[in-house]
Amino acid sequence: MVEFDRSAFIGKFQEEAQDLLQRLNEGVIMLEADPGNRELIDQMMRDAHTIKGSSRMVGLIEIADVAHRLEDIMVKIRDGEMAYTPKMTDFFFEALDAIVFLADNKGVNEGGVLDLQGLQNRLTAVAEGGGSPVVAQAAASAEQSTQAVPAAKPAKKRTKKASKAEAAEPVPEESAAVVVVPAPDVAAHEPGSVKPEAELKSKVQATIRIKTTQVDSLLNLISEVVISQIKAEQRANETRALLGETNDIWQAWLRVKAVLAAVGGEDGLDALEEDINLLDTALGDHRRSVSKFVKDHTEDVSRTSLVVKDLQEQGMRLRMLPANTIFQSFPRAIRDLAKQFKKDINLVIEGGETELDKKVLEEINDPLVHIMRNAVDHGIEDPETRVKMGKPAQGTIWMGARQEGDRIIIEIRDDGAGIDPDKVLASAVRKGYISQAEASAMSPREAMYLIFEAGFSTAAIITEISGRGVGMDVVREFVVEKLKGSLDVESEIGKGTHFKLTIPLTLAIIRALMLRTGGQVFALPTGSIEETLRANPSDILKVEGREVIRRQRRTVPLVKLSDILGVPEHGYEGSKVPIVTIGYSGHRMGFMVDALVGEQQIVIKPLGNHLKKIDNVAGVTILGAGEVVPILNVPDLMTNARTRSGQRMGPVQRTDREGPRKILICEDSFTTRELERSIFEAAGYNVETAVDGAMGLTRLREGLKVDAVVTDVQMPNMTGFELTKAIKSDPTLAGIPVIIVTSLERDEEKAEGIEAGADAYITKSVFNQDTLLDTVEQLIR
Amino acid sequence: MSDFNTETERTMSLAEKAEEILARRADSLARESAEEEVTDRISLLLFRIGEEWYAVRVSEVREIFQEYRMTSVPCVPDYIQGVVNVRGEILSITDPAKLMKLGFIELEGEVRPPAIVIIKGDVATALVVDEIGDIAEVASEDIEPPVSIIDRAQAEFISGSVHVGEAMVGLINTERMLEPVVTGGRS
Repeated sequence: MVEFDRSAFIGKFQEEAQDLLQRLNEGVIMLEADPGNRELIDQMMRDAHTIKGSSRMVGLIEIADVAHRLEDIMVKIRDGEMAYTPKMTDFFFEALDAIVFLADNKGVNEGGVLDLQGLQNRLTAVAEGGGSPVVAQAAASAEQSTQAVPAAKPAKKRTKKASKAEAAEPVPEESAAVVVVPAPDVAAHEPGSVKPEAELKSKVQATIRIKTTQVDSLLNLISEVVISQIKAEQRANETRALLGETNDIWQAWLRVKAVLAAVGGEDGLDALEEDINLLDTALGDHRRSVSKFVKDHTEDVSRTSLVVKDLQEQGMRLRMLPANTIFQSFPRAIRDLAKQFKKDINLVIEGGETELDKKVLEEINDPLVHIMRNAVDHGIEDPETRVKMGKPAQGTIWMGARQEGDRIIIEIRDDGAGIDPDKVLASAVRKGYISQAEASAMSPREAMYLIFEAGFSTAAIITEISGRGVGMDVVREFVVEKLKGSLDVESEIGKGTHFKLTIPLTLAIIRALMLRTGGQVFALPTGSIEETLRANPSDILKVEGREVIRRQRRTVPLVKLSDILGVPEHGYEGSKVPIVTIGYSGHRMGFMVDALVGEQQIVIKPLGNHLKKIDNVAGVTILGAGEVVPILNVPDLMTNARTRSGQRMGPVQRTDREGPRKILICEDSFTTRELERSIFEAAGYNVETAVDGAMGLTRLREGLKVDAVVTDVQMPNMTGFELTKAIKSDPTLAGIPVIIVTSLERDEEKAEGIEAGADAYITKSVFNQDTLLDTVEQLIR
Repeated sequence: MSDFNTETERTMSLAEKAEEILARRADSLARESAEEEVTDRISLLLFRIGEEWYAVRVSEVREIFQEYRMTSVPCVPDYIQGVVNVRGEILSITDPAKLMKLGFIELEGEVRPPAIVIIKGDVATALVVDEIGDIAEVASEDIEPPVSIIDRAQAEFISGSVHVGEAMVGLINTERMLEPVVTGGRS
């Protein structure tokens, strides 16, 4: 517990320190140009002081010591006891970099990669010697030799080696990537002494820091330009059609003219001769100018088209960063974890130079950390077990990234124990996720995907990753929901486990299948689509009242997409039913649609901040012609489809009942009220609402007949407790079950609720659709 | 056709009115130092739903548009009519009449109902209304609590009422109207 608290605060400290360090780094540079800047000196002194204070608070004494020395020097400069000299710059940077390194590693100078004592001495020397050049130079050479020594050692463990390289350049974020080379021989060349030079050079290159929001709005505009360009191309086609018409008119005129010439000289035509000539010239000129215009315009459009394509590509690249930006933190993390779990692990990283969208990188980090932790904790066995099994004592985790077309594949492989489907099944049955009957019907592959079910292995995970709250279910959600990718796992007992994450190259553009249902076009990300087919209606079988189709010796349940989305059913054209099957976490489901329109790349746009989370909808895209098309959310579709097709033991089917049930919801928060309303309405209930207890009670007393009351506690006019008491003490109402849904979760409050006569008490922290519906269902049964 | 003309007129008068108000404001600003005028003036954009007039603060209005192409989105509450693409940004379309249980705004007619984009912080939506009126300037102390006779369903969306000329106008509670929409029940 103590450990946990500290780490939580270290996180806060890291955030704070990042800003301060950034400012100090900039300060050093500015000070070099303007050594007498009093204001700047004051600011830097305060910043160093703040770092000293807060690092001490969180127990990072090493950082506090370095910051303390820095502060000392700044005080002396401020008080005029010494002047700032450019020679000091190096020491300042060294000190700041050391702090960054320590902050990133929670204050641990692991393996003695930093020469802290030397640094302290050098800083003290500066503080005392007034930055004399002699001291400075001696110190600088001393520093170089300390760096060179560990690097010159023969590299036995590559992970260690990697962190040396890292330590030699403890510059955060934009530092050049650490490439961990898989072959041990290659690792012999000198990252420690060579890198800083290269690093320095790359930093001198002209770079600008731009806010990502600025890049995003630029990209937004670019996608608008792309859309306009597509429109322009369509216009160009239309003008070509116009030219065709003009040519037709010209041909017709030539024929008319020939006839006129043949009958020439007869009465009446003479009068027209002038007009005929005029028309002839005008039509000729018109045809030529239309023709020229169409030609020029077509050329312009196709030239612009090339530029726009370039613009789009370059624009997208603005947000790309190498995978190493996040990979480089793994060697150290894995080594620390291995130590913690008493395992011997070799981490091999490949393809760190693969470029990914910055947003993807941000989102992918936590899932990767979690998979890696699982690999260390549950995957790799301890050395003795490994030797007994005839494996090398040292386990290997292999992590790689590569690009395949418009998607990025990230793989994590270990040569550990593998996942035992029987154990997973046993655990799932024990925890009540599935019944014994369901368990025996599951294939080993389906069983394996149970590890991605929400909260499946919480007990083992929450403590282990100290409150981070990332379970395998979250890994899946990140990859599938946020990144529109897919997550696969393969495992062989005793051999190891292999995770494969397939994610789109950028978050902005994905491939999607356009399909039609209910008279509207929708986009479905292709990441999770297994196949599309057109089935004969006779191939659709009814099994226990549900529609299914046989595919590759498996039974795939079918649902109508229009039913899931709640849009009117239009029906398919032709004699065959278009079906899309989706595979998600080992489950397959077929969605019947009206038509399959085709596959294409689409630009994802969020629904905006007002429509925060819409069931089944992940966002929208804008097609070439400017039309907006909703993008479907695969995890939502699967959850809803499984509930509907009866695969989940949801309380939704209530065919045995006569007439819909009615619920009264008393809730002052608009959002919660509408949320609860939609949950109950989706489950087939009729819903009445009241904005507080008093209004609810009035409605009941006026004769509103409901099957249950769902109420909040804290509401104006009359609280939920008061309402419950009133209902329970009124003989005509006392029979109505009351369910309290509240954020109050202390035992006394629960007791108060029960005392008031509530039939159930659900706290908002555990609130979800299923608990709410289950509870109500039980009470009105 | 006549419908169209009145629409144009309305937009024109809106623009003219805004200009006039700006001129007046500049004028009053210039005079302020001399007169020590302390009354806070608030500009309100009036709009009509059915027979009733409502208002939003001009400071909470981002833009007004009339011609748009709406796309419906499944699984949203009934007062969300769909979304619209405004220069690459997707905006929800809210029917305030449905939200306040006052019937609904006719969307399928020959002319699209005008839309007012209201914004607070980084949340925005386009309110479709039957008619957009003038911009009225009122003193902040003239804004009274909502009239007590209004229905409970509306009460939470009205933050006050104010007299503009003859009419009593309900001032929209923008924050309430912009409360984020969440459906599906999964957290």
